[in-house]
Amino acid sequence: MAEDLVLDTAIRDWVLIPLSVVMVLIGVLRYFVSKLMRSSQTPDAKIVREGQVMLRARNLRAGANFIPSKAFRARKIYYCNEENGLLFVPKGQAQNPQAQMFSDPNMAMDMMKKNLSMIIPQTLTFAWVNFFFSGFVAAKIPFPLTQRFRSMLQNGIDLSTVDVSYVSSRSWYFLNLFGLRGLFSLILGEENAVDDTQRMMQMGGGFGFDPSKGLSVEKDNLDITQHDWALPNFEQRAEDVLKKVIS
Amino acid sequence: MAVHSGSGSSEKKSSNGVNELLAFNAENMQSNMKIIYYSRTFLSIIGGVVAGILGFTGLKGFVFYLLLMAFTSLGLVAKAKFSIHTYFDSWNRVLVDGFLGGLMSFVLFWTFAYDIAHIF
Repeated sequence: MAEDLVLDTAIRDWVLIPLSVVMVLIGVLRYFVSKLMRSSQTPDAKIVREGQVMLRARNLRAGANFIPSKAFRARKIYYCNEENGLLFVPKGQAQNPQAQMFSDPNMAMDMMKKNLSMIIPQTLTFAWVNFFFSGFVAAKIPFPLTQRFRSMLQNGIDLSTVDVSYVSSRSWYFLNLFGLRGLFSLILGEENAVDDTQRMMQMGGGFGFDPSKGLSVEKDNLDITQHDWALPNFEQRAEDVLKKVIS
Repeated sequence: MAVHSGSGSSEKKSSNGVNELLAFNAENMQSNMKIIYYSRTFLSIIGGVVAGILGFTGLKGFVFYLLLMAFTSLGLVAKAKFSIHTYFDSWNRVLVDGFLGGLMSFVLFWTFAYDIAHIF
C-alpha cells in the first residue's frame, strides 16, 4: 500500500460498532412494529372466491397430464364454458376487483404504512450519520476500487490523495444497509426478512398485474392447454414398483 | 447453529423419483430453497470474519468467497446424495442461488473484521 494510515481506536469504538448495533436494533424494532401495526383486514368474500378459483384452474393446468383425457376435458368445460363456466365473467364486472382493490382504503393504508415504516428509519439514520459522523475516515475496505468511486465513498473527506480504500462513515452506513439483510433473515426467522428494495420490486411487479386480468388470463391459458397423457404404460410401471417393494 | 442440524433432517423430497415424470411439491421445494439461502448466508458471514482476521485483501478475498460458495454447493450436493433432481428442479438453484446476497454480507463482515484486526 502506498500509505498505511493508522486510525484511532476511538473511531472503532465510537463509530463502527455503534453504527452497526444501531442498525441491527432499528431493524429488529421495525420488524416488531410492523407486526404490531398489521391491521387485520377482513378479506372480501368475492375476491377470495375468485382467487381460489384461479388457484384451482392453475392446479388443473399443472396436473393436466396426470388425469385421463375425458376427465380433463370435463373439467375444462366446467371452467371455460361460455355461459356459466367458473372463469367467465361478463365484461362489466371484470373491472371491479381491480378498481376496488386500488381504491380500497384499507389496502391503500396498509401499503402506505409499510412503505413509510421502511423509509422513515432509513432517512432518519442517514441524517444522523451525516450529522454526527462526517468529516473523517471511518474504515478501510479491504479491496481497491477505482478513482471514480472516490466521490461516492469519501464524501466528507476533502483530501484527494488519500487512498480510495479509506472510506467515510456514510459508505459504512450503506455497507451495513445491504449487508445486514442476510443477518436479519437469520435472526428474525423466515417471514419478513427486512428486505425493503427487493420486496418493493416484487410488490410493484406482482400487484398491478394479477388482480386486474386474473380470470380472463386463466381462462385463456386453460383454453390452450393440450392434454398429453403422461402415464401411458403405467400399469407396467406400477407392476415394476410393486415388484421392487415386495421382493 | 440450528441451521446445520436442521438441514440434515428437513431436506424434503420435492419430486417423485419416476424417470421422466417430474411433479414438484411446491412447499417442499420452497423449504429446500430456504435451507440453501440460510446455509449460504451463515457461511458467508463466518467466512467474512475469517477473511478479515486473516488479512485477505483485494482479489484474494474474493477468491476466498468463491471458494466458500463452491464449498457450500459441494456440501449441499453431498447432502442431497448427488441426486439433485429429487430435491431441486435445476442445477442452477443449488449452485448459484444465494450468491449475491451472500456477497454483500461477506463484504460487510470482511470489512468489519479486517478493520478491527488490522487497522485499529
